Amino acid sequence: MAEQYKSLHPIKYYRDYLAHGIRPDGREFNKFRPILLNVGSIDTADGSAIAKVGNTTVVCGIKAELCKPKPDAPKCGFLVPNLELPPLCSPKFRPGPPSDQAQVLTQLIADIIENSKCIDLNDLCIFQDKLVWCLFVDFVCLDFDGSVVDACIVSLLGALKTAKLPFVEYDPALDNIQVNMEERKHIKVHSTPVSTTFAVFDDKVILKDPTQEEENLCSGILTVVFKDDELCCVHKPGGSPLTQEELSQCIEESKERTLFIKRLIDTAV
Amino acid sequence: METVTDKTNISCKLGILSRPDGSAILSEGNTTVIAGIYGPVEVKLQKLLIDKASVECHYRPKSGLPGVEDRLYESIIRNICETSFYASLHPRTAILVTIQELQNSGQLISCAINAACLACLNAGIDMKFMFSAVTCYMNFEDDLYLHCASGKETKAMFVFVFDSTEKRIIASHTKGSFTKEQFEEAVELSKEGCEDRFTYYKKVLES
Repeated sequence: MAEQYKSLHPIKYYRDYLAHGIRPDGREFNKFRPILLNVGSIDTADGSAIAKVGNTTVVCGIKAELCKPKPDAPKCGFLVPNLELPPLCSPKFRPGPPSDQAQVLTQLIADIIENSKCIDLNDLCIFQDKLVWCLFVDFVCLDFDGSVVDACIVSLLGALKTAKLPFVEYDPALDNIQVNMEERKHIKVHSTPVSTTFAVFDDKVILKDPTQEEENLCSGILTVVFKDDELCCVHKPGGSPLTQEELSQCIEESKERTLFIKRLIDTAV
Repeated sequence: METVTDKTNISCKLGILSRPDGSAILSEGNTTVIAGIYGPVEVKLQKLLIDKASVECHYRPKSGLPGVEDRLYESIIRNICETSFYASLHPRTAILVTIQELQNSGQLISCAINAACLACLNAGIDMKFMFSAVTCYMNFEDDLYLHCASGKETKAMFVFVFDSTEKRIIASHTKGSFTKEQFEEAVELSKEGCEDRFTYYKKVLES
């Protein structure tokens, strides 16, 4: 009976649960789903990690390539994130060129990386004006079940902190590049951004770490990213309006989670 | 219609295009955009919603094709419009919002959002509330201000969108890093800025 009720009146079904202070999956409003992080999962990548937030699964792989820097920034390397949402992860997506949502999330992740300054692009320089590293950070979502950005950022940190770049010797006189694959060193990661997603249901109830079902039914989404004690992204792309107090409370709550995730990443790495 | 200018450094003209149902050209400082609205119009079968109008937003940069960053702006503007419209009045239709960037010297997102709101008002679309966007900058001395001298380096940038009824935050987009206190201060400052913008909207509509 509950099954039919849920598929016929999904919003009412949720309202009935939320009126009792609990969500259909048994969590309270401010409880997170368990997080899992596995690092170094892919041998062929220079750095990789798999993150699971509840059912949401994201694989992150880092591939490094050598390239020439832009003339206007001769010391800056490149970091190119890309999120793929294949049809495998959710019936919402069709095969073909990246969907709007994939592009929006890719841009959001790129913004978070840039704002948190977790990678200094100057560190990727091998020889000024001639040779820099270009890091391709590819995310593949295997299971799209809400709070994908959270999972992406956890997997990103896992992959960045385990990534090792080969030692490169560059001879500017002969324009000769020698790559020593045996001798590898870590990339310097300057900060640990931690993202937390909230969903606003019916303009009043704020749910932490929403599932895909909740994200679809709710009227607004908010993503807060903390880096140590500083905020580096408060992204709310429209949706039902929040008061300043509600927003501050969300920020406060996401701060509490930062330490926990940071410890998780440090343990895994 | 006359061009109305104000202390907020905005100037705007409504109904400049003849084909769209509503249009507005808006400049904030040296940033200028044109917004046009069609709606409610026929909807593509793929995007048809049986209980409400579907809102689409297209953003065109001043040169070239829209990129990944422009998709993010599109999604923000679309979400804001969806929230503010009484979309259930026109089920099985579409409302199209098109934004053309003419010149960009900072605060482009807020300029585009404000132009979209004025174009919606010009088109006579039923709205729950008006919305206005304010860009707030923070320099390296941690001072906050609403007008940016272009070309100056800033430590952080905030864009807030408020509704006209209760001045709640509809959307927020940030760049750079900052503390929670600075964020709250920026919200306060932007809230004052948005009041000016709503009075300006009224002035434009009355003129």
